[in-house]
Amino acid sequence: MKKLTAVICTAMMAISLTACGGNTKEVSVDPDKLAEELLTTVTSDDLSKSTMDLSTIYFYDANNVNSAVAYASSGTTSCEVAVVESKDASETADVEKNFKTRVENQKNLYASYNAEEAGRLDDAIIKSAGKYTVLCVCDDTDKANEILKENGF
Amino acid sequence: MAKSKGKRKRRNDSLVLQLMILVAIVLVVFEGKFVVTMVTHRASTSGTQSAGSKEEGTTADGTETEIQQDKDLASVSAADGNSDFSVLAGLPSGKGTVTKQQETEATYPTVSNPDSAAIVKEAATPVDDFYFSDAVFIGDSRMQGFQNASGITQGTFFTSVGMSLATMQSEAVIPTSEGNVTVAAALSGGNYGKVYIMLGTNDLGEYDWDSFKEGFISCTKRFQEIQPNAIFYICSVIYVEESKITSGSSYVTNANVDKINSILLGICESEGYHYLDLNEILSNGYGSLIEGASSDGVHVYEKYCRQMLTYMKSHYVTADDGSADSGEESETAESETETVAEKNK
Repeated sequence: MKKLTAVICTAMMAISLTACGGNTKEVSVDPDKLAEELLTTVTSDDLSKSTMDLSTIYFYDANNVNSAVAYASSGTTSCEVAVVESKDASETADVEKNFKTRVENQKNLYASYNAEEAGRLDDAIIKSAGKYTVLCVCDDTDKANEILKENGF
Repeated sequence: MAKSKGKRKRRNDSLVLQLMILVAIVLVVFEGKFVVTMVTHRASTSGTQSAGSKEEGTTADGTETEIQQDKDLASVSAADGNSDFSVLAGLPSGKGTVTKQQETEATYPTVSNPDSAAIVKEAATPVDDFYFSDAVFIGDSRMQGFQNASGITQGTFFTSVGMSLATMQSEAVIPTSEGNVTVAAALSGGNYGKVYIMLGTNDLGEYDWDSFKEGFISCTKRFQEIQPNAIFYICSVIYVEESKITSGSSYVTNANVDKINSILLGICESEGYHYLDLNEILSNGYGSLIEGASSDGVHVYEKYCRQMLTYMKSHYVTADDGSADSGEESETAESETETVAEKNK
């Protein structure tokens, strides 16, 4: 009986740990569509779809990325939305790290320039699910989190 | 007796009749004149009134067409609940109403010396994005906005929000895959054929203009040492919409933009750089940013960023015209190259 209980407990713990590891989830999203959805959480600015090679902005390894889409400001606010689809879920940690560096840099620059925008960057959302990583600096973070939850993040 | 009485009565009657006719004639003559006077007086009064109403519109030329135009302008402003004609796209407001005549004669110069050879003229054939493949763009948030919203697909950007001359000279604000570096260090990490610099908005409060000029020349010369074969383009500081600037930056004025642009143009003339007068397309014709081109008065919307790109594609010089001084690289440039090379290892 004790052995059975131990086996059940171990199995349950294993299942729980698996559930915590978000990146191993089977998630499939259309990066363009997700970015467009997240764009609705930016109400204080009209973001433009970036036409540049995004690896020159976020400094991720382009060899490990399938596709990426980003919307950025023409300078008015610090709002931005980026969705990166890595080739493998194991690469998302690096993309997350790059997004965090990006946010920190922006925060430092805005600190002496526009404190309000620096504050917005404090609430930046950086999340990964499956092969996808999202950066969202917006006005309505609750709504953004809701959208991400609906998409499996 | 009775006959003489009848004659007297007839004579009296004709006298009364004659008197009445006389009164009638007098009345007709004088009343007629009065009526004529009334009519002419009204006409002249209405003429005066219309001229008076136009005085408010600052014009003395009282043609019927212009009166109608003034009415049209007034109706536009009334529709917006604004007493000024501020809703006219691309036209100034507040400082004074604008007549139609002025509208067509908006000739506020965007450059201090329109005949300067340093100003890049429009080319007969525009280039495509490939022209920018070996270009590096250096600048502040306005340049960053250009990167994000113009639709440009080529080029390298070394931009930083809030970049000023002091920042460009020495602060490590340019993000790279290896961390933040100075503009000079970032510049020394590659070979570029063109260098575009958009700087000055964050220096508008720098009233020691001589110091700004000196510092700018020193900085760009250093960049030239790093990229001796590059064509150097200096972008004008874009006008602002003063009424929208709420950050308490009282120095962010179009008067200061004009001042700094005259310095930048002077630098281009003395150092052989090429001046891109972006205000040629972004001015409202009265020394201010086009109304409605920006939400904060400084950073222009996507539409105008795209127009800037189109402008840059049609305003360029060939390498032969370039001012690139192929002199020897300085020790400073070499040491910076080494620094970045070490970082990239």
